[in-house]
Amino acid sequence: MTTTEVSKFTEYLGNTLRDISIPPCPVILERINSEMRKDEPCFNQLALVIGSDVGLSAGLISLANSPYFGIRCRVRSVNEALNILGLRITSRAIAGLILRNLFPDTPMLVRFWDASASIARLSGWLSKNLDGIATRAEDAYTFGLFRDCGIAVLMQRLPDYPDTLKKANGETHLSFTAIEEARYPTNHAVVGCLLAQSWWLPEEICIAIRHHHEYPPISQQNSATLNMIAIAQLAEHLFQKQTKLSETCEWGKASAFCMERLGLDNESLIGIYGKIPGL
Amino acid sequence: MKYLLNQLDPTTGFLDRNGCLNMANDLMTRARTTGQSLAMFWLDIDRFKQINESFGYLGGDNFIALVANRLKCKLSNRAEIGRVGADEFVCMVPNLDLVRSEQMATELMRIIEPELELSGIRIRPTVSIGIAILEPDDDTFGFLERADRAKTAAKKQGGNRYVISGSEPLPGRLGIMLVREELEIENKLHTALENGGLQLHYQPIIALDGKVQAVEALMRCRVNGENITPTKFIPVAEKTGLIVRLGEWSLLQGARHARCMSDAGIITKTAINVSRLQLVDPKFSQVLNAALICADVSPKLLELELTESLFMDISDTVQSNLRVARKLGIGLAIDDFGTGYSCLANLKDLPATKLKLDRAFVCVLPHDRRAFSVVKAMAQLGKELGMIIVAEGAETTEQVEALTEAGVDCIQGYIYAKPMDDISLFSWFKERAAL
Repeated sequence: MTTTEVSKFTEYLGNTLRDISIPPCPVILERINSEMRKDEPCFNQLALVIGSDVGLSAGLISLANSPYFGIRCRVRSVNEALNILGLRITSRAIAGLILRNLFPDTPMLVRFWDASASIARLSGWLSKNLDGIATRAEDAYTFGLFRDCGIAVLMQRLPDYPDTLKKANGETHLSFTAIEEARYPTNHAVVGCLLAQSWWLPEEICIAIRHHHEYPPISQQNSATLNMIAIAQLAEHLFQKQTKLSETCEWGKASAFCMERLGLDNESLIGIYGKIPGL
Repeated sequence: MKYLLNQLDPTTGFLDRNGCLNMANDLMTRARTTGQSLAMFWLDIDRFKQINESFGYLGGDNFIALVANRLKCKLSNRAEIGRVGADEFVCMVPNLDLVRSEQMATELMRIIEPELELSGIRIRPTVSIGIAILEPDDDTFGFLERADRAKTAAKKQGGNRYVISGSEPLPGRLGIMLVREELEIENKLHTALENGGLQLHYQPIIALDGKVQAVEALMRCRVNGENITPTKFIPVAEKTGLIVRLGEWSLLQGARHARCMSDAGIITKTAINVSRLQLVDPKFSQVLNAALICADVSPKLLELELTESLFMDISDTVQSNLRVARKLGIGLAIDDFGTGYSCLANLKDLPATKLKLDRAFVCVLPHDRRAFSVVKAMAQLGKELGMIIVAEGAETTEQVEALTEAGVDCIQGYIYAKPMDDISLFSWFKERAAL
């Protein structure tokens, strides 16, 4: 950052207090988590809590019906969705739905959240379908949902962030976060990690969010963290290939790490292209 | 230190048994010449026999190589390491006293214990450690033997722990230090971080004119209905590195709290504790800025409290991180000043805005006139340096009177308010406003 940029940023922090603030862990999520911590969680009680919010109920039912979970019959109630998805994935899915609802529905953010949701579902699907990858589908799914939540925060806070995003997406050599750091004293991965920590997400997911633009991550990480990063990056690549939307240059930078991590070669990748479930 | 290639163990690249004897001999001579202490750690990997039986000798060798590599990566510039048995290593570290040896033993356990994969199966290795500190009448074999015996004692107690050789007779010590309690606390901290078991409480800091100059955010931990006191969980968090994650969580929560108070029309600073481990990270300023952005709060409403342990190493990175914070407008308070590693010389290196005098000076007031003179001199120094002087731990009216006479700017202590949760804090402000 140049001195002018530093003082511009400092001035911005000192002078503006905007309307949107990212809350600590939302009350409804706390209630769901506290029910889940019990030895014998009461599904009816949970269904009541979730059912009190129409948006959450609809989001959860639609998730349970998405092809990624391979459910044959159609889910019609929160209770059924809970039984099919299980408690862990329900809690994570609800965290994702709440996160999205915190932000205004600007066209750019709507596209962003839709892409995140698709990448999350594809990540869950990949973790179940890649051989020898011992990563829980719900962790891969949650990481996909939260991986880029820092971008949504920065879009709200920094007026020129969309321009930075465009530049970072088009960068073929430098890392995505290096482009952000040239303009701001932080980056979306650090912002996202702090947010995930404050929502009590598992440590591996928080660390993966922090390092998800490093291929491979600079500091030593455990295999769960590395797998999540690689799976979500592959999921983003598949999503972009299928939709031709929001093309970025990340796969060019990440593919060698991801394919090695996931034990893939070009032939097996082509095989995956042919099996992607509909979005 | 250079040794013959034929004294190196091919699996690990460490010195073999003979090489170890030579190494021990050299280090002992050097320690005695320079008058420095020397610590020996005898490490025995737990359950190695089962690993050999389950994965074969090749698998066992791979396992040992992986463990050795961890030791090499983390310790190669600080310690001399050798392999003295199939699953046993000796690690020697000059200039390490008993207290720091115990810290080192915990660190060794930390280095070894992360999960590793062997033929697709996850294993969490643990280690038993014997510690010996060089004594005047030790010869090479005697020194090694004491460490070995202590290791055997650790093994007999169930492994995954360390035992200090010869420390049993020391007054006031058990001699054998069990780490089970620490591991339990660490486990609870992990649970707290993933289940919402952390909370911040706030203690007001009152200026002599009655205004609330700041509130200090203090972390509380509750797991499965049990409160764990900060005196227990903070040292474990510092030893294990978990303090960084706790510190980052507290940074964002504290910043959010500052924003909430400001929204409620309460204009006072929130002081957040940051640890040495956070500040030695060159990327600390990124985390600080991320917290400001997430909380959407003015940096002028925040203060960072630096523990005196920071003064063990005021590196360029630490100074640079602190300068960034000051440039943003964040206040810097030095906590527990006057004890441990903190000293006057540090004041010239740190851009601090506040000094918090340790409670040791306050609890003996008003009777101890020497303590009173120190507090008075510190208050004068603070004024010269443009810093706010806070006295911590005031509990009686007499202490407040003495501190006022000594000229401190602010007082923090039970006499005014105990630490309380955010809801109680808002009520406390409301009641004060109504008076």
